[in-house]
Amino acid sequence: MQAWRDELEELLLAWEDGTLDDAGADRLRALLRASEEARRQFARWQALNAALWLEGNRVPDAIGGPATEPMGGSVAEAVAEHRTVVFPARDMDEAPLTRRLRRWRSLAVTAVALAIGVVSWSLWNGLARPSAAPFDVASPEVAQAPAASASGAGGVLSGGERAESVASVLPSESRSRGVAVLGRVLDARWAPGEGPREAGDPLLPGVVRLDEGFAQIEFFSGATVVLQGPAELELIAADRAVLRRGRLRAHVPPAARGFTLLSADLQVVDLGTEFGVSVSEDGRTEVHVFDGLVEWSTDGTQPRRLSAGKALVRTGKELLPAGAAAEERFVGLLDLQRQALDEHSERLRAWREWSKQLRRDPRLIAYYAFERQPAGNRRLVCDIEPRDPEKDGAIVGARWVDGRWPEKGALEFKRPGDRVRVHIPGEYESLTFAAWVKIDSLDRLFNSLFLTDHYDRGEPHWQILSSGQLYFSVRPVERGEPGPRDYKALSPPFWNPSLSGRWLHLATVYDYHRRTITHYLNGVRLSHHQVPAEQVVPTRIGTASIGNWSLPTLPDASFAIRNLNGSIDEFALFAAALSDEDIARMYALGRP
Amino acid sequence: MREDVLEHFVRELTGHQNRLYGYIYSLVGDHDRAADVLQETNLALWRRAAEYDPARPFLPWAFGVARMQVLAHLRDRRRDRLLLDAELAELLAEDVQRESAKLDRIQAALRECLGKLSEANRELVERRYFRSEPLEQIAQRAGRTLSAIKVALLRVRRQLGECVQRRLSADA
Repeated sequence: MQAWRDELEELLLAWEDGTLDDAGADRLRALLRASEEARRQFARWQALNAALWLEGNRVPDAIGGPATEPMGGSVAEAVAEHRTVVFPARDMDEAPLTRRLRRWRSLAVTAVALAIGVVSWSLWNGLARPSAAPFDVASPEVAQAPAASASGAGGVLSGGERAESVASVLPSESRSRGVAVLGRVLDARWAPGEGPREAGDPLLPGVVRLDEGFAQIEFFSGATVVLQGPAELELIAADRAVLRRGRLRAHVPPAARGFTLLSADLQVVDLGTEFGVSVSEDGRTEVHVFDGLVEWSTDGTQPRRLSAGKALVRTGKELLPAGAAAEERFVGLLDLQRQALDEHSERLRAWREWSKQLRRDPRLIAYYAFERQPAGNRRLVCDIEPRDPEKDGAIVGARWVDGRWPEKGALEFKRPGDRVRVHIPGEYESLTFAAWVKIDSLDRLFNSLFLTDHYDRGEPHWQILSSGQLYFSVRPVERGEPGPRDYKALSPPFWNPSLSGRWLHLATVYDYHRRTITHYLNGVRLSHHQVPAEQVVPTRIGTASIGNWSLPTLPDASFAIRNLNGSIDEFALFAAALSDEDIARMYALGRP
Repeated sequence: MREDVLEHFVRELTGHQNRLYGYIYSLVGDHDRAADVLQETNLALWRRAAEYDPARPFLPWAFGVARMQVLAHLRDRRRDRLLLDAELAELLAEDVQRESAKLDRIQAALRECLGKLSEANRELVERRYFRSEPLEQIAQRAGRTLSAIKVALLRVRRQLGECVQRRLSADA
């Protein structure tokens, strides 16, 4: 028995290596036909292969499974969680869903059902059948083409567009347990262990510890507080928080009336106002009312009212007589806004300065700074110096919107036709792509950043999968010719819906000489891939689109709609492999 | 279809992707093509969602649908002289289904078993099975003969296979 088992394994090893000759294949088939034991052996061998492959493709997952707290984390945290992704095994035990999410899910499911209708239709018509595709694309693209083209064929179809993301990501929909969002942040230093927090981060129930600086916290009820460090604020619900120590100023619009702020021994219910509260180390609590009215009470006592201009101080059991409200001691929204604006314009200035220098970088092949053009001008200026108008892009559909700063432009890609067409001649080796991108959602299986019109030898495709993974590939052989497939460099998922609307810096370096591909998010490596030699080729661009892929030269342009749903406000392409430091610098100097 | 049934269906479908992948890969023998067939299978399952009876286990039904997709794929690709023809695949389907059904447990066991390999053996496995490097290339890089690499790999595979089986039976 040992002998045939050895033989079987040797044959299987050759088979999966693609080096099994005809005689070997015949022998392997004969063994499998003849012996039940051989078949059992085969099944085990193959299952182990599949498990190995799945294990090898385990990547961090920002979206998945029980880590359904995308609302909870900053970008860094989102990337830190490691989970299986390519074929995710989902936890079957899910925490109870909220009503709202149930509804979302059922809508999504209906949408999928609709989409499937469209898919089958186009399959019967042979439109989207992979084998009938007008050209040969890499396999996962082919595999997913039906769903993608379904969304195109169906016209409107947010349903069709959803299909793929639902099929692959549905159970991991983001469940928000957040109660507030972090608004403006100024000179903030967070307590150790708080993790980096950024403006726009959702806040879960729990304690926010701010050692220094200011943070604006926008409760989902509509109340906003400006927290002044050092402070500890415990968020309990969308309309309820405990100030453990420190100082805050609360703005409570009529819609958020009833917002309740507690301290160790005092409860303040807001009746639609603006007020300040401070809690000192020794337990001294002050309440100052600047506008409107609040209701306050201590344990078990009848609520009493405090009106605008008044203050009260409580030390231990002692309640001091109300003095005048001291407005200057509590930094408010307007102050914060003013200071944040200063910082904003400082950052914009720094970026413009850097961008001016960058334009002369000899490594640049194309650079679009996306400075707003006069209306009617549908040209996206290529900002390389000396200037080369040949590389100017043509804006199709996409419209100008605010960029990272309100004073700066960006192009918004929304509809399936939106794109910027560019033509970039020449042959290159290494390439670096870098862009500031705001993703609204990943509606398509493939969400374009930059795609050449075709996918021929040496042509790069830079896109984001609906799973939130950055995806880069270069085709190593001419279309239709035999040879190795393209190497698909897939980052771990970096995107989840909690990052929607946030400006992100994405970069990918294709290093021809080192044979590596490296993905970056916000200046930090997402993943690094060693590419087998036969899959590394010199690169070229030709005609391409930013924010879309449409194969406009092919008759069946409905094939594979891939427009980005989001905005781009800077795009740079270098004929060189930039270093980690280069990328980190680009992020640091461009951060909004 | 009722909302809760549909929801259940979606959860089952996504929860069993690994197992379906294992099943399809085992019979198709190529990761790229297996990914294609899995997509087709998912579509087919969607189309037949209405036939799904939540009172009955999802997985056997899904394997059945996957089986049809695999057979169709093998028939379509007859010209490519694949190892398995439809008939042989049918013969193997039952064993493959039994193994694939426990793929998640296999993967969990495997993870621990991989941790016990020596550095060199682990690298060998990663090159061949994580990154699909051809044996020839692995041999070249390592400066060893092809047959030496084959022998080494077979030995590591056997070690892994036995370790996984031990853990599975310990579980059971």
